Amino acid sequence: MIKAEGITKKLKSGKLLLNNISFEVRKGEFVGILGASGAGKTLTLKSLIGLMELTEGAVWVEQENNQHINIYKTSTRALKKVRSKIALIFQGYHLVQRATVIDNVLMGRLGTISTWRSLFFGFTAQEKTEAMMALERVNMQTFTNNRVNALSGGEKQRVAIARALFQQPNLLLADEPISNLDPKNAKTIMALLKELSVFFPVIGVFHQPELCAKYCTRIIAIKDGAIFYDGQPNIDEKTLEEIYGEELSSILQ
Amino acid sequence: MIKKITRLFIISITILATYFAMKICGFQLNALNKGLLDSIFFIKQMFPPNWDDFKDLWNPALETIALAILGTFLGSILSFIIAIFAASNLSNKWVKQLVRSLISIERSIPELFILLILIAAYGLGSLSAVLALMIGCIGMLAKLFADTIEETPVAVIESLQAAGANKLQIIYFGIIPDIFPKLLSYSLFRFEINIRLSVMLGAIGAGGIGYELDYSFSMLQFHRALSCLIVVLVLIVIIEQISMFIRKKLAIQQL
Amino acid sequence: MFSLFNKYKNGFITLLVVGTMYLLILFLHIDLALLFADFHFVGDLLNEMFPPNYSIIWETNVVFSSIVQTICMAYLGTLFGGIIGFGFSIIASNHIFNNKLISIITKWLLSFIRVIPSLIIVLIFVIAVGPGPFAGVLTIIISTIGTLGKLFTESIENLDPTSANSLKATGANKLQIFKFSIWPEFLPSFISNLLYCFDINMRSAVALGIFGGGGIGYKLYLSMRVLHYKDAVALITCIIVLLLIIENLSNFLRHKILGNK
Repeated sequence: MIKAEGITKKLKSGKLLLNNISFEVRKGEFVGILGASGAGKTLTLKSLIGLMELTEGAVWVEQENNQHINIYKTSTRALKKVRSKIALIFQGYHLVQRATVIDNVLMGRLGTISTWRSLFFGFTAQEKTEAMMALERVNMQTFTNNRVNALSGGEKQRVAIARALFQQPNLLLADEPISNLDPKNAKTIMALLKELSVFFPVIGVFHQPELCAKYCTRIIAIKDGAIFYDGQPNIDEKTLEEIYGEELSSILQ
Repeated sequence: MIKKITRLFIISITILATYFAMKICGFQLNALNKGLLDSIFFIKQMFPPNWDDFKDLWNPALETIALAILGTFLGSILSFIIAIFAASNLSNKWVKQLVRSLISIERSIPELFILLILIAAYGLGSLSAVLALMIGCIGMLAKLFADTIEETPVAVIESLQAAGANKLQIIYFGIIPDIFPKLLSYSLFRFEINIRLSVMLGAIGAGGIGYELDYSFSMLQFHRALSCLIVVLVLIVIIEQISMFIRKKLAIQQL
Repeated sequence: MFSLFNKYKNGFITLLVVGTMYLLILFLHIDLALLFADFHFVGDLLNEMFPPNYSIIWETNVVFSSIVQTICMAYLGTLFGGIIGFGFSIIASNHIFNNKLISIITKWLLSFIRVIPSLIIVLIFVIAVGPGPFAGVLTIIISTIGTLGKLFTESIENLDPTSANSLKATGANKLQIFKFSIWPEFLPSFISNLLYCFDINMRSAVALGIFGGGGIGYKLYLSMRVLHYKDAVALITCIIVLLLIIENLSNFLRHKILGNK
């Protein structure tokens, strides 16, 4: 479970990038965050892991022992542990191109093993087996020893998800994961994300309202840095227009 | 019209500046004419090279190559460590500025001077030469490496950060694998430069074939000097060809 | 196959590399103990070098005149080397003279000039005209011909031939094509390369000074020869500042030229 509480980010000039954003997401939910460009979607996502400095607000993450930790009030050491349980995938260019598929997946647990061991001794056979299982889950096991730069966009994204799975996360965050993909691959990824949301909450930023309507369990729309809509994935045209304004025609396919 | 006047102005300033510069540098064209004949005559005197000497020159040639290899290798590692602090995506603004300035300053120090200082500290010999080459790499390689590190897509770093990796892990797993061919290519380029430097530093006393060259000249053994010269030229040509070949392959094939 | 986590393969490669380097260290008879044990040499040296004697900058005329001399050396080297190099590059460019043989020979000549270490070239000129800045300038001219010759040839060969061809179609002769089509397109890279070479030549001018070439490099060498380390440090500071200024100036101008034109 992750809970954003009053997230606010104010620039020195006084401009509000994020305005009192609050929401809570639990296991079983596949949340799609929508909004016009610059509305604050990616900023919101980044603040959920603490990659963004906030003027005000807190982000509570539930840990294994039912304790709730505020990401913005933890020490670096504890934060590293919390982060190792949060998986993050991006739009593209987040895998190490010249490394193999399996290496990229194994990197998911770098946060949990000691620096010394990772640098000098690599991973155990057990960990390699689990990495293979993650690859099988996304149907990429035939590419285990291929270099990532030889893969297509959809395949790369699946490797990224395998890496996320290997992390055994409590939470999966995705920043425009399907924006670079063709419709068929996009649907495959969306379906995969929906399947995974059974095990842990999945929150993604998207530019594709129709796909969100089809696969997400809930949609949060952000407009001018504040939450505009939070509810059912089937949004009517009027609300969509208000969310996107002029961009609407370019967003709808 | 104005264009014509500006053009005339520039040309006359250039001619004036050139005239004064030539005066300052002691240009004497008739001395050059006569002198060139002298030096051509001198070079003719140096022929033929002393064929026996070539077998003695093997060892110094290998020394020169060894100095360059060691200097480039250690220099690359040192430059990479420094580059980490000079990359804007890996270190904070102030540290980055400071380190980049230091790198620029090092680039402005002639390698010969570095060697002279090291000789004053550690005496003549291979240690000073290797250290000089190693430190000399920094000006060029640290800058190029830092620029390359900065080209890493932000998403790679952020995704590893989000997974909880610390800085060392991010550098080792996320950055180095992708930029390694480029780093190797830059290092090879610097190696070509270092071979020439190794010869030059040798002439000042660092050893190797540069030292043999200088020694032959000062002992007036001009045939031997020519042999040394030939070895130097062959060395440089071979190394440069090999290096260019490897760098080309690195660029195309991506190893 | 490149695997980050294959500890056997990585370990093997590391061992190979480190082993080779260690063998080289042995081969060169480098005494590593010297590096750590005898730090007092460095300490003594530092004592002799500091505080630096900056008074030589304003008390005597030495520093200012040698800086001017070094700049003049670089200037003349770049100027003459640039002009002659440009001439060579025109001959060497593929489509100017339409004779493949001439082009190949010239390119080979330029390569040959670049291969010869400047150490040897300066030796030749010192024999010819004696030590001093004149020999230094001549050396820089030769090496500049090699460098700029190559850079210019590449620039010319990379020019878009369409405008030249269209002029040819209207009946213009070689000289006119050059003046109205090739030259204006070539000018920005021409000046940019000149500035780049000036930066390099400034460093050469300083370095050659140590070999008897004149300028501030020579003064530096002299002061170290007589163990006036405080003077040497003052001089090296001047050199650093000078080269930094020239480098930044050169980069700034090159950005402006390549940005605007």
